[in-house]
Amino acid sequence: MVALAIGAATTALLLGPVPLADLRGTGIVWDLRAPRAVLGFLVGGSLAVAGAGLQALVRNPLADPFLLGLSGGAALGAVVAIAFDVAGAWALPLAAFAGALVALVLVYRMALAGGGALDPRILLLGGVAVGAFAAAVTTAIVSLAEATELRNAFLWLWGGLATASWDTVLVVAIYVPLPLAVIAAAARPLDLLVLGDEPAGYLGADVERVRRRVYVAASLLTAAAVAVSGVIGFIGLIVPHIGRLVWGHRHRALLPASFVGGGTLLVLADTVARTIVAPRELPVGIVTALIGVPLFVLLLRRWTIT
Amino acid sequence: MRSAVAQAHLAGLVFALALAGACRPAADRSPAGLVTVTDDAGRAVTLDTAARRVVSLLPSFTELLFAIGAGDRLVGRTTWCDWPPEARRIQSVGDGLPPNIEAVAARRPDLVVLYRSGPNVTAAEQLERLGIATALFDLNQLEDLGPAARRLGVLTGRIASGDALARVLDSVVAQRPQPLGPTSQSLVFVVWDNPPIVIGAGSYLDRLAALAGARNVFHDIPTPSAQVSIETIAARDPDVVALLSDTAARPAWAGRREWRAVRAVRDGRFLYLPGTLFGRPGPRAAAAVRELRRRLAVVGTVP
Amino acid sequence: MILRLVDVTFRYPGARDDALAGVSLNVAPGEFYAVLGPNGSGKTTLIRVALGAAARVGSAEILGRPVGAWSRRELARLVAVVAQREDNLFPQRVRETVLLGRYPHLSLWGGARAADRAAVDRALAVCDAGHLADRWIWSLSGGEYQRVRVARALAQEPRLLMLDEPGVSLDVRHEMELFELVRGLVDRSELAVVMVTHHTNLAARFADRVLLLAGGRAVAGGAPQDVLTRATVERVFAWPVALQQFDGRPQIVPLRQSRS
Repeated sequence: MVALAIGAATTALLLGPVPLADLRGTGIVWDLRAPRAVLGFLVGGSLAVAGAGLQALVRNPLADPFLLGLSGGAALGAVVAIAFDVAGAWALPLAAFAGALVALVLVYRMALAGGGALDPRILLLGGVAVGAFAAAVTTAIVSLAEATELRNAFLWLWGGLATASWDTVLVVAIYVPLPLAVIAAAARPLDLLVLGDEPAGYLGADVERVRRRVYVAASLLTAAAVAVSGVIGFIGLIVPHIGRLVWGHRHRALLPASFVGGGTLLVLADTVARTIVAPRELPVGIVTALIGVPLFVLLLRRWTIT
Repeated sequence: MRSAVAQAHLAGLVFALALAGACRPAADRSPAGLVTVTDDAGRAVTLDTAARRVVSLLPSFTELLFAIGAGDRLVGRTTWCDWPPEARRIQSVGDGLPPNIEAVAARRPDLVVLYRSGPNVTAAEQLERLGIATALFDLNQLEDLGPAARRLGVLTGRIASGDALARVLDSVVAQRPQPLGPTSQSLVFVVWDNPPIVIGAGSYLDRLAALAGARNVFHDIPTPSAQVSIETIAARDPDVVALLSDTAARPAWAGRREWRAVRAVRDGRFLYLPGTLFGRPGPRAAAAVRELRRRLAVVGTVP
Repeated sequence: MILRLVDVTFRYPGARDDALAGVSLNVAPGEFYAVLGPNGSGKTTLIRVALGAAARVGSAEILGRPVGAWSRRELARLVAVVAQREDNLFPQRVRETVLLGRYPHLSLWGGARAADRAAVDRALAVCDAGHLADRWIWSLSGGEYQRVRVARALAQEPRLLMLDEPGVSLDVRHEMELFELVRGLVDRSELAVVMVTHHTNLAARFADRVLLLAGGRAVAGGAPQDVLTRATVERVFAWPVALQQFDGRPQIVPLRQSRS
């Protein structure tokens, strides 16, 4: 598995829209390709871990980090920043992050059934509702505002690692370890949550606390991912399932495996997105789906045969 | 001897016939003074006389109409139509994306000129149902300008000016692109930064650049615009980054670290092209080429 | 005393009435205590209160300490519960799900050790489910699955085992096997068992003591023959019954309504 990841990273460095030979002497491989591979790994890994945590948390195998309404909030934040012409090189990612956080707080408040317990059904439904509402407001702003650039703003949302640089990598690398650690520490309780809230409590899990922490941590990871690279779907949904098929359900193994798997998948997908129609580039989200679905179907068949 | 009922029926019949006669579409009238062109949707646009009240739903058409001396016929324009300055005095019917049918109809036009796109075809059908004549023209390339000018001239009765302008525009088109010599500059047109979108060979800007003697480093991409990696831009190392911008302000993304891999961004060699002149094909195409040539010569020397 | 409930009164938030009112219960090690009563009499609530749901009035103590004073993990090492329902979202093997029972014993970062795996094997053996160890959960029959759940509870190595209606949807054979299993556990070790069940007759035969609840109140507690008298049963279950003796224990036979 780790070998696969290393292989993916090397390929990402060697392959690109421009042949390696032409790049000798320029700083491009170091300045652009390397940070892009590292960022891809961090973002893909974070999305996969967030997805795994959420699936256990809401007890739904179809849960995906982007069901929480965060991408809708991020899009709204970004569009507002563009519409109001907010200056600054980091304006877009920060505004998107802020928008995602607002969505997080809204859904969180909605799901607090009273007494500090997050109701998983309301998390999902609330996420869909907040996301839909944000999308509606975003569309309204785009249709009413005069700037034609706003229509281009949606392109960003389709996902891409274009903003990768060592600066971005530094920020993300400082930010993600804490939420990742929180989810990792919850590995055991997450195993228990699968049985149901009551049985999990009887087996020693502090269900309310775990739910709050994992939800916030997963949302923070997703918010950062969207702010930096738009909506890269599919990784958070499918990589945990692939992980379960290969490594089983225990989160102690599943979470690290998801991280490595998600990172590898995204780096591979990005390499393909950059090279397959060179000099043009495909949105990465399309490639993750094209690679991930057949992979998943293959594993699923192996599993149903046993 | 006729009964009262039969008389009433007869009166009704006569009345109905009179109404029908009054409602016959204009095209059924005698052909004297008839004006007709074929638009780019393949339709025959026919007016019984030259248009007096025209609504233009594209800035380039507004410019063309003024350029052929038919500006006085304009009774409606889009909010984007800002050239020539006189155009701003004309009432706006909205941004035209999509066209606001009620606002257009409220101007009581006898001709509406639209750019041929999906939503506009639908809008044209709706206007036709209201009895308003519409014409759909393509305007994506330099080549489209001459034919548009000519046909607008016919429709507004300014045939001679329309022809003259068309000839001028066609000659711009026929110009051979400036040969690329050692002093010619290479450029990239960046439309959007995240993801990076650049202009390719299918577009107006690419054509202008060629006529001005500059090389678009993405001329090998056949479509008007395309998403690329920053890596590709950096590797192709254009001399200048051209942007459609009405101000000379450094774009926010130029400060981002990943864009500094592009030499022209590092050195601050930006070209700011105002949208009204460069953003769309128009009768000032020749002036645009000259202006572009002039700006390329001074780029980087002005901080 | 492993479990002591004293005069417990409990109401669910937003409910109109108390789910439990003034209920007391003492469970000693090596005792099989059955909790009986009609639907809605507060049986499941009893388990919840015993494991920490805060009572308005009265106290719940485990091993002499108030329930709230134990941390969840400590409590899970002492008390194991086979709840009425559990979810089965992701396919698992029997061994994995029984291993979940060891979690209260595992440290935060440590993995399952040999001792833990041994405990799992022991628990499976005791429940006569050793041969099922590598099977998928979804391939088990109802009876087998219940045994696996009991094994998981036993893997916790508890001093008190609480089962909430474990015999529901089990056929005669599997239900009898379950009761025999529990009786055997109690006989062979100091394990205390509290079983909530609606199967009054089996409870009367297998349990040492019986608590009869009705409408949240304790109607009677003690040896089965003392609690299950005809008058009491008819009053609590609102149905005419006849009482018979089997194996020295009272057995209830519901009578048919008289035809007019």
